[in-house]
Amino acid sequence: MNPSLKLALVILIALEVSFTQVWTVNVALIIISLILMFVGHVKWKRLLWLTAVPLFFASALVWSLALQGTTTHHFLIVIFTRMFVYVYMGGLFTQTTDPLTLTRSLEQNAKLPSKFAYGFLAAFNLMPKIQAEVATIKAAALMRGQVLHVWSPQLYFKVILAAMNWSDQLAAAMTSHGFVEGAPRTHAVTIALRARDWWVFGISLMLVQVGLFIGLP
Amino acid sequence: MATVTVHSLTFTYPKRSRPVLDGLNVTFPSGKFSLLTGVSGGGKSTLLKLIAGLTPLPTAGSITFNDQPLADIAPTKRAATVAMLFQEPSTQFTMDTVNNELRFALENQCVDTAVIPAKITAALDFIGIADLQDRLLMQLSGGEQQKVALAIIVAMDSDVILLDEPFASIDPPTRLALLEKLVALCTKRGKTIILADHDLSNYDRWVDHLAVLDMGKLTLLSPADTQARFAAFTPDKLQLTHVGLPSDQPVSLQGTQLRLGHGERELLASQDLALFAHQATLITGPNGSGKSTLFRALVRLGKYQGRLTYDGTDIQKLPRKQYARSVGLMFQAASSQFLNVTVAEELALSRKFGNRDYFTAERVQDLLTQLNLAEHTEQIIYSLSSGQQKKLQLLCMLIMAPAVLLLDEPLKGLDFASIQVVMHILTTVQRDLHLTLIMISHQLSGLDDLITLHLALADHHLTYKGAPA
Repeated sequence: MNPSLKLALVILIALEVSFTQVWTVNVALIIISLILMFVGHVKWKRLLWLTAVPLFFASALVWSLALQGTTTHHFLIVIFTRMFVYVYMGGLFTQTTDPLTLTRSLEQNAKLPSKFAYGFLAAFNLMPKIQAEVATIKAAALMRGQVLHVWSPQLYFKVILAAMNWSDQLAAAMTSHGFVEGAPRTHAVTIALRARDWWVFGISLMLVQVGLFIGLP
Repeated sequence: MATVTVHSLTFTYPKRSRPVLDGLNVTFPSGKFSLLTGVSGGGKSTLLKLIAGLTPLPTAGSITFNDQPLADIAPTKRAATVAMLFQEPSTQFTMDTVNNELRFALENQCVDTAVIPAKITAALDFIGIADLQDRLLMQLSGGEQQKVALAIIVAMDSDVILLDEPFASIDPPTRLALLEKLVALCTKRGKTIILADHDLSNYDRWVDHLAVLDMGKLTLLSPADTQARFAAFTPDKLQLTHVGLPSDQPVSLQGTQLRLGHGERELLASQDLALFAHQATLITGPNGSGKSTLFRALVRLGKYQGRLTYDGTDIQKLPRKQYARSVGLMFQAASSQFLNVTVAEELALSRKFGNRDYFTAERVQDLLTQLNLAEHTEQIIYSLSSGQQKKLQLLCMLIMAPAVLLLDEPLKGLDFASIQVVMHILTTVQRDLHLTLIMISHQLSGLDDLITLHLALADHHLTYKGAPA
């Protein structure tokens, strides 16, 4: 499916689920997301993580709400399944979408200015660099007898400093390879926005509406 | 074909009083190879960035291409006018693979999508790296990355090619191969090439006029003077007179079946390696051969295969905090070392946890004076020059006085006088505290007094050099 349309669909459904309380629709969305992730060959380890993390938080939330004793069973089930809908749909999107294809699609189909599209891609490519930088800063601090934790402001001061440096380098790299803000570009790879994508988008949304309508008390 | 003309260009960085470039006038003739040299910090990079349009010009029109300022050239044509190859290979790409980066550059020029694949193939073939097309950029070596960057410039068909110390992290054979490609671009395709380098070897065949940038002024040498400069240039030679082969010294760090590499690329083939206590060991080897990677593995910042022990214990089993205090690393990039804002704060942190008995307040003050840093204690670290940062970094790590101190290019960017002072301090402290120093350095002069062991990294193997003791 076209990445931009896929993103829009996921966000729209998540919004609707946030404002309605139909647990059957939630369960249906969870099952569909799981099936699609299986079809998309998402790794088992990744799936396990995507299950374990929301399981912990959802259980904790439901447990604390149940202890208060003022909420209905129905609401607890909705809250529990809603958490999984968010994580699984997010997982489905990130695990089955290539960042570069998404960037190209946002630029070509969603008509996002290329500055933002490539900015997003650069930020994505920066992730492993940030992790390495944090490890280096922590090691440098340890060698000086100082232990830096995730909440130490010094850690953030240094990371921000490094990020500012990288952003300058990236801007220079883009300019030297001919990128000019707002200038026209051609596209070596065109991301198709087919009629089929619109059909999938429309039918999925409609099904969710029907489900919510039937399920509403 | 484009002639680059600089008309009375004066450039001062914000908040600095002295201009880096002072009323500069120069013409780089079309289709010629121009070589720019000068001391570090002399303004070479600044000039190249101004020509490339990466730094905005103080007065528009002070740099022209065939009498046309860059700002007057249509945005999509600018990359076809001028392009730049950076000193640090890995920082010049936006995309993930070689192919995607080439596409990105050609898309920016509004090249018709139908001809993009052919242009990519032609450019890669010209540089001779067709096999790299689908590789990830981050997994390439520095030399390969520079070749890719040059292929992109070939694909963009830029008239003026600027290169800022492009061989700084590249071994001699790759340097020569790239240089030959550049000369071919000049003679066969009429490109104007301006290259900044401080290593003047191998240019004598190709460069007629050497341009020397000093104190903001540029002087163009005559052909005779240029050849004289080239002839007089001899790369630093390593002179070590106190070096012998290790005999029965106690071992500090021991690698067993140690292997280093990232991805499929092997840096160090599996071997046993002993690093000896209370010695000053120098590690030499070509750029990108894995010296820094070895250091990162030794301080548990990088992956390695095999076993590494410190005083007989596996380093992975030692508590992180305790190990970090025993084996310290002076990073190649000074900014990686600092944790505070001002010089005084940084020194206070080192003294708080470091060896306070030896580094008394008086001694630290004396060392600061020797290093010409005494008047900068209240200054913000990041506003110091790179040489001052390097000296402060060394002082901070010496005060920590870990049993083993790894030094990654501690003399990088220092002038001759500073190197003498730093080496004197290092030698004194090492003798007084019996530290184990292990040092990577490309700067080879002035090391003789300190170094007692020499490890050479070649063909994926580390071997001790020197006459038997």
